[in-house]
Amino acid sequence: MRCKRSASRTLIAALSLLLPTPAHADPSATMRVDGLVDTQQSGGVLVLQGDASHSAVSAEALLWTGGATTTGVVADALVFAIRVREPHGLAELRVGRFLFSSGAILPVQIDGASGIVRAPWGTKVEAVTGVPVTSVGAPTPLYGPQDFEWLVGGRISQVIVSRMTVGVSYVQRRDLDEIVDHQVGADLTAVLRWLDVAARAAYDLTSPGISDALVSGAARAGPFRFEVFAADRSPSRLMPATSLFSVLGDFPSQSVGSSIHWKAAPRLDLWLTGAGQTVGGVYGGNGSARALLKLDDRGAGSLGLEVRRQDVSTARWTGIRATATQPLLRTLRCGAEFELVIPDDPQKGAAWPWGLVSLGWHPSSRWELAGALEAASTPIHDFELNALARFSLFLGSK
Amino acid sequence: MRLRGSLVILLAVLLAACASVLGLKRTDPSRPFEHRAHVLRGVACTQCHVGVVSSTHAGPTHEPSTAQCKSCHAKPHDEHTCSACHGEASTRQEAELVHTQLRFDHEKHMAHVHGDCARCHESSASATAISLEPKMATCFGCHEHQGEWNVSKCDGCHVDVAAEGVPPESHVVHDGDFIREHGVRAASESELCATCHDDRSCSKCHGVTVATLPWKLAVGGAPQTTGLHLSGFRSRHSLEARAQPGLCNSCHAEEYCVQCHATMGVAAAPGTPNPHPAGWVSGAGGGQHGMEARVDPMSCAGCHGGAGEQLCIGCHRVGGPGGNPHGPSFTSTKDKLHDLPCRLCHGTGT
Repeated sequence: MRCKRSASRTLIAALSLLLPTPAHADPSATMRVDGLVDTQQSGGVLVLQGDASHSAVSAEALLWTGGATTTGVVADALVFAIRVREPHGLAELRVGRFLFSSGAILPVQIDGASGIVRAPWGTKVEAVTGVPVTSVGAPTPLYGPQDFEWLVGGRISQVIVSRMTVGVSYVQRRDLDEIVDHQVGADLTAVLRWLDVAARAAYDLTSPGISDALVSGAARAGPFRFEVFAADRSPSRLMPATSLFSVLGDFPSQSVGSSIHWKAAPRLDLWLTGAGQTVGGVYGGNGSARALLKLDDRGAGSLGLEVRRQDVSTARWTGIRATATQPLLRTLRCGAEFELVIPDDPQKGAAWPWGLVSLGWHPSSRWELAGALEAASTPIHDFELNALARFSLFLGSK
Repeated sequence: MRLRGSLVILLAVLLAACASVLGLKRTDPSRPFEHRAHVLRGVACTQCHVGVVSSTHAGPTHEPSTAQCKSCHAKPHDEHTCSACHGEASTRQEAELVHTQLRFDHEKHMAHVHGDCARCHESSASATAISLEPKMATCFGCHEHQGEWNVSKCDGCHVDVAAEGVPPESHVVHDGDFIREHGVRAASESELCATCHDDRSCSKCHGVTVATLPWKLAVGGAPQTTGLHLSGFRSRHSLEARAQPGLCNSCHAEEYCVQCHATMGVAAAPGTPNPHPAGWVSGAGGGQHGMEARVDPMSCAGCHGGAGEQLCIGCHRVGGPGGNPHGPSFTSTKDKLHDLPCRLCHGTGT
C-alpha cells in the first residue's frame, strides 16, 4: 500500500513538473490507480490515470500494465498528452498520444499533434498529423504488422446563429508513401426549441462510395423523447485497411429505426427501440425494450430489465438482461447482473446464461475495494466460476 | 361487502406502495421553501438574505439562519432547525456549488435589476420550485457572450466546468441509446462533450492499446453503466477483438479463444498454426471459407485486413486458384498502379 501510494505521488509530481507554475497559479492534479485480479487470468491489470492542469496548460495520462498473454506482461500508454490553450480560447495545441475524433472523421488513436484555431464569429479550424498507434499488447499478428504509416487530417466548422454547427473534414492515411485511406466528411448539428438533429457522413475517395452515414433526429414532448435514426455503415469505416472488400463486394449494413424514451414516473424510465436492418442484402431487424427503476430519488439503487431480439443474417437470438444495485450501508454497495441469450440456431447452443454478483466497499473518498463472483455456461464449459477483486486509489485535488 | 372493502383497502395500499416506489409520493419530509408565500406577504428577499446586496464571489452564501426566521415566526412549532424541514438539502447544495463554481457578484447585479431578485431567480415565484439557480439563457438575456461561447472560453464565469458537473440543457444524448447516438451527436459538438469528458473517456473504447480498463474494473459500481459482454456479443466479438487488441487478453488467456474456436468448428485443433479447420478452402465456390466470406466478410476482415489483403490477392488473381477477382464489366476509378489494393497485382504495370 505504502509503495503504491508513493508511486502515485511520484507520478502526480511528475505530471505537475511538466507544467509551468506562475506565482498566481492554482494548479490541480488528480490520480487514480486501479488494480484488478481475477481467477481466470494469469496476471492482474494495473491502470494508472491522472491529469494535471494549471492555467492554460493541462496534461493527461492513462497507463496500463499487466494482462495475460503467452508473451508475458505487457504495458502501454493509452493517453499521454499535453494540451496548451491560448488564454482567450482562440487556439489550442495538443501533443502526445491521444484520440483524434472530430466531425465525420473516424476516431483514430495517434502519436502526433493536433491544433485548433477558433474565431470569435464561430469558425473553427482543426488539423492533425501523426502516426497511427498500432497494437503492442496483442499477440503478434499472424501475417505481420503494417509498415510505417502516417495520417494527416483536418476539419473546418462554423456555428450558425448559436443553433447550428456545420463542418467538413478530411483525412488521408498513407503507407509506404501511398494513399491507403482517403476520406472526406461532413457533419451537422442543429438544436431547435423542441427538436435536435445530428448527422454525419463520410465519403471514401479511395474506393468511391459512402463509407459511413448516420442521421438522428430527436424531439421532446413532456415526459417523452422520440428519436428516428438511420445508419449506413461499411467495413471501410470500421477498419480502414480493408479496402479490398470494396472491390470484391462491399459489405453493406443499413438500418432505419426509431426509439422512444418515456419517463413514466420520477423514478421509472422506459425505452423502446426498433430498427429494420439489411446486412449483405439480407433483410432483418432488431428491437429492444428496457426499463430502469431507481430505488431512491438520487438513483443510488436501481433495478434494470432489458429484453432484446436480434434477427438478421447469421445473428439471430433473443436475450434478456437484468441488473440490480443497492447501497446497503453508507460505504457498502451490492449489485447483481444476469444475462441469458438463446440463439435460434441450436448448433450454437441451447442458451448462454451469465451472471455476476458484486460488493463494493467505499469507506473514504481516497480508496475503494470491490469483489465479485461471476458464473456462466459457455460453449466450452458447462459451468465456470470466476472471482474478481478490484482496488482503486484516488489521489490529488481539484 | 366485506370482501369489496378489503379489496379497496388492498388496492389503496398497493397504489400507495407504487406511488412511493415510483417516486410519485415524496418520502423525504423536507419540501421546497415557501418563497412564493413570503413574496405574496410582501417580505423582501433581502429581509431574509441579509447582506446579499453587497455580496461578492469571495464572500459567504446568504442562507437565512434559524434566528432570522424566528424574528418573524416567533412561535416555531418545534425546536428543530428550520432548514431541517423547510427548503430542500439539494437546493442548499446547489447554492453551495454555484457559489464555489461561478464567478458571480450579486453586488454588481443589484443596481441593474433595481432590487428585483425574481428577474433572474424566476422560479422563486413558484411554490414548488426546487432549483432557484437562473438558467444560462437568463444570463444571456442581458450579457452578450457569443464570442466567448464560440471559442469555448467559459472561465469568465465558470471556475471549472468539468468539476461543476452540471450538464448543459442540450445534453440529451445520455437519455437515449448512448452507444448508438453519441457518435453522431459528438461529430459536430465534440467540445460540448469535452466540457465533462476527457480524452481518456473516449480512448477507453476507441483506443487501440486498450487493455486498460476492462469493464470488470467497474465491478461494484452501477451495473446499468457497464457490460461489455452485452447480449449478442458473440456475433461481433471477432470485430471487437481486432478493433481493440489486448482488451480480451486482459481477462481471457489466448487458450480460451483457441479452445472455443476448435469446439465450435471454426478453427483447427489447439497447437495447429493455421487457425482454420481442415478443408477450409476446398470445395465448390471456395468451400467453407468462401461461404463465410460471402455471409460475413467482416469476420474475415477482422484478421485479414491491411497486410492480410496480400494473402487474399495471393489466390484471387488472374491465373491464381481463386480466379480473377473482377467480375464481368468491372470498372474502377482507381489508379491501378498506385492505389490499393490494385497495385498489389498491377504495381508492375501488368
